[in-house]
Amino acid sequence: MFTEFFYTLRKVGVPVTPTSFLRLQSALSKGIINSVDDFYISARSILIKSERYFDLYDQVFAHHFKGVELTDPTEFDLTEAAKAMLDAWLKDPQALADALGIDEDSLNKLSPEELLDYFLERLKEQTEAHHGGNKWIGTRGTSPVGHSGYHPGGMRVGGASGNKSAVKVAMDRRYRDYSLEGPLARHHMGEALKRLRNMIPTGPRDQVNIDETIYQTMKNAGEIEIVFDRRLKDRLKVILAIDNGGWSMDPYIDIVQSLFDYARSQFKDLKTYFFHNTIYDYLWEDPPRHSKPYRVEEFSRMDQETRFIIVGDASMAPYEIMATDGSIHIEERSGRPSVERLQFLARMFRHSAWLNPKLAQEWSYTRTINVIREIFPMFEITLDGLEKMVTHVMSKN
Amino acid sequence: MFGEEEMRRFSGATKYVLDHELAKIVNITMALEMPLLLKGEPGTGKTMLAHAIAENLNMPLIVLNVKSSMKLIDALYQYDTLTRLNDSRFGDSKRDVSEIEDYIKMGKIGQAFVSEERAVLLIDEIDKADTDFQDDMLDVLDQMDFDILEIDKTISAKHRPVIVITSNAKKDLSDPFLGRCNFHHIAFPEPDMMQEIVQVHFPDISQELLDNAVNAFYRLREFKEVEKKPATRELINWIRAMYADPDFKVKDLAKGDIPYLGVLFKKSPDYAMAQRAVSRFRL
Repeated sequence: MFTEFFYTLRKVGVPVTPTSFLRLQSALSKGIINSVDDFYISARSILIKSERYFDLYDQVFAHHFKGVELTDPTEFDLTEAAKAMLDAWLKDPQALADALGIDEDSLNKLSPEELLDYFLERLKEQTEAHHGGNKWIGTRGTSPVGHSGYHPGGMRVGGASGNKSAVKVAMDRRYRDYSLEGPLARHHMGEALKRLRNMIPTGPRDQVNIDETIYQTMKNAGEIEIVFDRRLKDRLKVILAIDNGGWSMDPYIDIVQSLFDYARSQFKDLKTYFFHNTIYDYLWEDPPRHSKPYRVEEFSRMDQETRFIIVGDASMAPYEIMATDGSIHIEERSGRPSVERLQFLARMFRHSAWLNPKLAQEWSYTRTINVIREIFPMFEITLDGLEKMVTHVMSKN
Repeated sequence: MFGEEEMRRFSGATKYVLDHELAKIVNITMALEMPLLLKGEPGTGKTMLAHAIAENLNMPLIVLNVKSSMKLIDALYQYDTLTRLNDSRFGDSKRDVSEIEDYIKMGKIGQAFVSEERAVLLIDEIDKADTDFQDDMLDVLDQMDFDILEIDKTISAKHRPVIVITSNAKKDLSDPFLGRCNFHHIAFPEPDMMQEIVQVHFPDISQELLDNAVNAFYRLREFKEVEKKPATRELINWIRAMYADPDFKVKDLAKGDIPYLGVLFKKSPDYAMAQRAVSRFRL
């Protein structure tokens, strides 16, 4: 049952698994789903695993089940339907005549009132609901009359009546908001960076080491000897180098700032440096990049296990990276191209990454991004990208 | 398949306003014997739902508060080596030292399994733990049994507990995990739903105060720049604060004079922002 519904969901890109589909079947066989309403809710909770797909689900559901409720049409519905048919007739007599299998000419002789009566008669002739056929009026058929049909020019006849049905609820598309990718807020960052930690025993010895205690006790001929250990604490060293200069980074300042805020509250051992566009001889400890320069060579004295993360859009003129004396700041003249400095840093810190606020799909259009990508693994600042970055810098080799 | 217990239907509780969609999901989840994963903004009543189910169906509630450092085994059982060591040395307790089982204490999941009656097991904030914990735990909940290695014994659930799992994360949980759960996202309640919720907590609230408070609340929630939007819990506390203040008049609220912003906005930048906005509104 509902296989088509299932495949439509798959087709529009909702990740639904066969297992969950089978589970839906078992729910159906248990007799706990008694109406389209129940089905809408149950199928959603069983098949759909993220609120991001609720909106798509609503659309597919509405598309698929609109009008399927097996209630007998009331007089009012029929009149409405007949009126709709009349409208269609007036627009395109040929199509309707073909669909109903009647001669266009014979209908042409009728006045609108007569036509309306005629349609009403035809509708009433149906003794039972006629869904999925291809000749008459019902729902989901291939005839253009009736609704949710697949006929391209199909028109909608009547509609769900009575209480607010599941289909109506689905058509409300209450979950539209959730399907949008929200902006990256601080707690998202926390989510992604959570795994960026390195547990090292620190602090007072207040945790019992059971194996060692038993061993020592036995050694002690049964006299209890309790051995304490230090707790595991996160002692990951992180260096964050942020590009805070130039117009090109301006649109991303908010994102980078919240990343920076989060990092500061999260890591005990975090050093932040600033640069403009790319790194030459110095990084700066102060945001205006003026009073506290830090020589790049001095990084070699730092712990090589430190995670070195650079944040920048990596977009600049190619000579800024490739040429000796490429810096746009006149006072930075060292005779070494920036690309060498970057390579030096990448060699120095095995665990390094470049975070780029630009979306990955735009990267290939900027030449300098390609150059830098060859030196540092690059990730975009999105939930996905942050997560990949964390996996990368936390990997053992 | 249907014991008497399964036929019990969930239909709300004294302090919980249930929308019928959620009630259906709970019932279907219970019938399918699957864990129910609930997501949604803080303050939409994810945790409260488990309490409500327990109260409504008269089942004991067992809460497992997940912590980031938690290992699966902590949730299953604990082997109290130290006490045993102590007993073996001094031998002054009634426990039998050679009987390891006496030193096994059940964790929260274990308790739910050995419980004499069907229990509601709430696993709160699963997203705090790492992915391995989540997947392993779902294996246990799927099989409904686990082994105690120390005594080579398998503990199987006497009654399949009703499992409610909550998550605050915006990020999706792992696929194998999701595959084993039913899922629901609790949207933030609409104003009329919120009025009902408030009424449950303050049965004698005047309609005037109710309207004004709820309206003001939703207006305040609309501020875009706020990092942590006030949720149901804040609203309830806020109304409680206004109740407690003898000088408070509903008319002030209608005028846009909003007291006790600190109850609603708990982060200082949010608070400052809200205060500015409110005073602007008043002018």
